Amino acid sequence: MAKPKVAFYWCASCGGCEEAVVDLAENILKVVEAVEFVLWPVAMDFKIKDVEALQDGEIAVSFINGSIRTREQEHIAKLLRKKSGLVVAFGACAHIGGTPGLANFSNREIIFDYVYQKSPSLDNPNKIFPQEKTTVKEGELTLPKFYNTVFTLDQVIDVDYYLPGCAPPPDLIMNAVEAILTGNLPPKGTVLAPDKSLCDTCKRKITKPEKAVIKQFRRVHEVLLDPEKCFLDQGIICLGPATRDGCGERCINANMPCRGCFGSTSRVEDQGAKFLSALASIIDADSEEEIKKITDSIADPAGIFYFYSLPASMLRRKFRTEL
Amino acid sequence: MKVRVGVYICSCGTNISDNIEIDQLVQFSSSLENVGYVKLNSLLCSEDGKNYLAEDIIKEKPDRVVIVACTPKEHEKTFRNVLQRAGLNPYLFQMVNIREQVAWVTDDKNKATEKAKSYIRAAVKRVTLHEPLEKKEIDCNPDALVIGAGPAGMEAAHMLAKAGRKVYLVEKNSFIGGRVARYEDVFPKMECASCMLEPKMDEILHDENIELLLNSEIQEVLGFLGNFVVRINKKAGFVDNEKCIGCGACYEQCPVKVKNEFDYNLSDRKAIYVPYTGALPNVPVIDKKTCLRFEGQNTGPQKEAFEAGLITREEYERFKNQDCKLCKEACMFDAINYEDTDEILERNVGGIIAATGFELFDPSVLPQYGYGKIPEVYTSLEFERILAQTGPTGGKLLTKNAKEPESVAIIHCIGSRDKDYKDYCSSVCCLYALKFAHMIEKHSPEVKVYDIYADWCVPGKDNQAFLDSIKEWKNIEFIHTTLPMNVVSKMKGEKIDLHCIDISEKKRKVSADMVVLCPAMIPGKDTAKLSELLLIPQGREGFFAEGHTKLAPVSTNIEGVFIAGCAQGPKDIQNSVAQGAAAAGQALSILVPGRKLELDVMTAEIDEKVCAECMICVGLCPYKAIVIDKEKRVAVVNTVLCKGCGTCVAACPSGSAKSWHFTTEQIFAEIEEVLK
Amino acid sequence: MSDFEPRIVGFLCNWCSYAGADAAGSARKTYPPNVRVIRVMCTGRIDPQFVIKAFQAGADGVMILGCHPGDCHYKEGNYKALRRFHLLRKMLTQFGIEEERFRLDWVSASEADKFVETISDMVQKVKVLGPLKREIAA
Repeated sequence: MAKPKVAFYWCASCGGCEEAVVDLAENILKVVEAVEFVLWPVAMDFKIKDVEALQDGEIAVSFINGSIRTREQEHIAKLLRKKSGLVVAFGACAHIGGTPGLANFSNREIIFDYVYQKSPSLDNPNKIFPQEKTTVKEGELTLPKFYNTVFTLDQVIDVDYYLPGCAPPPDLIMNAVEAILTGNLPPKGTVLAPDKSLCDTCKRKITKPEKAVIKQFRRVHEVLLDPEKCFLDQGIICLGPATRDGCGERCINANMPCRGCFGSTSRVEDQGAKFLSALASIIDADSEEEIKKITDSIADPAGIFYFYSLPASMLRRKFRTEL
Repeated sequence: MKVRVGVYICSCGTNISDNIEIDQLVQFSSSLENVGYVKLNSLLCSEDGKNYLAEDIIKEKPDRVVIVACTPKEHEKTFRNVLQRAGLNPYLFQMVNIREQVAWVTDDKNKATEKAKSYIRAAVKRVTLHEPLEKKEIDCNPDALVIGAGPAGMEAAHMLAKAGRKVYLVEKNSFIGGRVARYEDVFPKMECASCMLEPKMDEILHDENIELLLNSEIQEVLGFLGNFVVRINKKAGFVDNEKCIGCGACYEQCPVKVKNEFDYNLSDRKAIYVPYTGALPNVPVIDKKTCLRFEGQNTGPQKEAFEAGLITREEYERFKNQDCKLCKEACMFDAINYEDTDEILERNVGGIIAATGFELFDPSVLPQYGYGKIPEVYTSLEFERILAQTGPTGGKLLTKNAKEPESVAIIHCIGSRDKDYKDYCSSVCCLYALKFAHMIEKHSPEVKVYDIYADWCVPGKDNQAFLDSIKEWKNIEFIHTTLPMNVVSKMKGEKIDLHCIDISEKKRKVSADMVVLCPAMIPGKDTAKLSELLLIPQGREGFFAEGHTKLAPVSTNIEGVFIAGCAQGPKDIQNSVAQGAAAAGQALSILVPGRKLELDVMTAEIDEKVCAECMICVGLCPYKAIVIDKEKRVAVVNTVLCKGCGTCVAACPSGSAKSWHFTTEQIFAEIEEVLK
Repeated sequence: MSDFEPRIVGFLCNWCSYAGADAAGSARKTYPPNVRVIRVMCTGRIDPQFVIKAFQAGADGVMILGCHPGDCHYKEGNYKALRRFHLLRKMLTQFGIEEERFRLDWVSASEADKFVETISDMVQKVKVLGPLKREIAA
């Protein structure tokens, strides 16, 4: 029996998801034994034209990580969609946009202006900007278009499953691979992690008081973090209540609050907005003055609440701003 | 399966059609997805209109109905009833307000029509997402628990018992009557307080429906409206209520003498005692702290008594290591049982009334009055005991040295109406000050009374006349001061000099043998504890918070828990009794034997399959309707208590809470459609 | 800019502000038709997702009108709304949504005039700001 063909591709990504595959440790041998890679730029020498040569649907499953920032990434994503039976959005960037998604608070013009003109460490006296087409004496060079907006994978192609996390934990990856190989898959569109918020399995849940109240917000460098108490009770912003379970609370167990990389549960459309609602509701103040004082103390609410999920949020990006 | 929506447009006579192009609305509605038909009517809320609607729904059998007319606040209920009549679930219906909020307020007919269209589009989309909601009912226990056997509590208990309900009347003391048991006379008619209370107390003691639990306190309250379980700690009294005939032989023999709290330590009692002659029920109790068989073995109390000169050294020595059985041996009815123990009783009730009364602000924090330092400075409650026939002086006006005073000064507003202490008026002090003046005059007309007041608070039918009559008396001098805080008591020999400034800013000084202070009424000591047990909030100044100042004075946020009397706020006996009756009325109205409790339909619900017990919602509910199921480790909404405000649903960060009839999907649909 | 007619969504609570809007109707007071009212039982129900959904779906402004503090039919819903409002308004500025486009105010059932004033004022302010401009996607 021929081994199922598998592709692993990275878009606007940091390489951490590739590392996650390596983190499978001994299990990676099981995977390598069971499948045949047809594309894995970081590790193998297959070319795009090799993929183009395949039949439609010939690839059993493509794991695509990273968000979509350039035309090339969109192009490859579409190519892999065409050639694959299943497409899995691998990791937070593909799933909900990831940290590259924070660029949606800006736009191409502003980014290029800073990177190619204003950055203090720059040496670009002729103000050269990357162009999509450049003519040199040898011919024409092309660069993929840099989009104005960062997209999630499912905003450019049809996605079958999502493996959440920055990066997805090894056990979740193994479960997903096994499910695919055995054909034991949930309905299309499922995120392959439990559909509850992570407070469900968090060790600190037991310390939560009946009435949650926050009198003052603190940042992690401002206080000695109690390794056992719920972060919210310490006045530290932790996105746990608004974040899907499945990561084993790796960050929390390392005494750092959750930053929401698994995205929201399936019942919430906008993770940042819902978290804002929960957090604001438990602020311990009733007068406008007191409330404002406390809310003003959060320097960058959008950046914290949408740290991973901005492109997947309802607004997706900031409204138009001039330079 | 496609959902078929029937749209009914009402022109409201010409009210709507005058300002909106109705034909355009009909055409537009017909063009919308899911709309099966559109019908026009001129007055849907009329009898004819309603009959037409019912008949048409029966005929057309739509899956959903949209009625485009006036404000839902006017006729949503009306049309829901029609739908019910026509066999369609009343919640599969959405009303569109194009009268109050469009036709009547938009000057441009075209703009009004456009606005109406967008509302109709939104309603049609929303209604396809509605779910049929069924009314829910639960059983309820019609019995009640009343906490506090003062005038308010007794009135409530009596009313409930007469209506056939079982009433558990919990009283922390060994007697009923509350504070009023301490008064000799009451204003303004100067009636005898005990005579006034007698008949009511008699009913309380003999009504078969009332289980009187004395020496008892609430330990735990579980459950909710119609289904409370209350745990009561009934302390041992050591005297059998059934066997005791109240002869007093036991306490005559008791060798212990200690201060009597009932008389504010102005008199003595024994370790086995009734607090005053005539206390009801007439059954003594043994005070474990001072009885020689119990903690009284510790010679502490006896030592104090010896040092106070109440007992001789011989007697004191005799107290150590005693197997004292004097009271039991004196009792001819074998009513005394030293083996009696505290017990926890459990009672099931449907409603709870808290009528736990008041106590007085402690004037010793205001050193200018000399309370606690100068022996003849009294609070009003202490003075009540002096004037009472059952009190330390047998009702004679005497100082602690058993002398008759030549003059008595009464000072109003102690700690009252002052931002730094209690900022409110306690409403009864002026009147009882006048009562005191009246009683002093009756005892000894030669005694000079100085009444130092700031303002007169004498509302009601009878009270102004009471004041006016006393103003005529020769032996009373009224001193009108702007600031009672400025009155200073200084001992001068055996007398007390009172320095004050009257309203003409003249310095005044009067000399009195006794000074009576009228301190603010504050909530009883146990109010905070009960507030936690019953989950009712303490409002202003620590009194129990009523549901609404004007419209719900005896209800609370917590369904089934009512408040009455001074526990709700300072008031006189008349108003306490009225509130007791009101609270009983509320309970009688909600808890009807045989009738089930109908629950709100548009409540919140938490999906237990996905709730992660993050606890964000629990503390947000003002009705304490969300509890944690410790076994399932999820939050659960008690639909009996839920009022459907949706706060928990908005806050739930994992989207596990849902608001029936105001779901997120329904509101999203409205938002998207209304902006198209 | 004088042609621009803002589209504004108003979330009104059943017991106070919605009744106040009805009162304005009964008194036949006219006001600009730009605000589309969505009725909720309590402003405490207002999920920030509703506000963002409105901006996503094309609103140029969003209003929340509730009961005066202390008068909420459900005791405290308006206080929760107030807390969420302040944090949300601050966060929305990071999305390029100016503070004036998102407003919370208290209107009681008898305050027909205040209702009309609040609506008119909001419409005017958003008119001056102009429409919310969307960025090009790619």
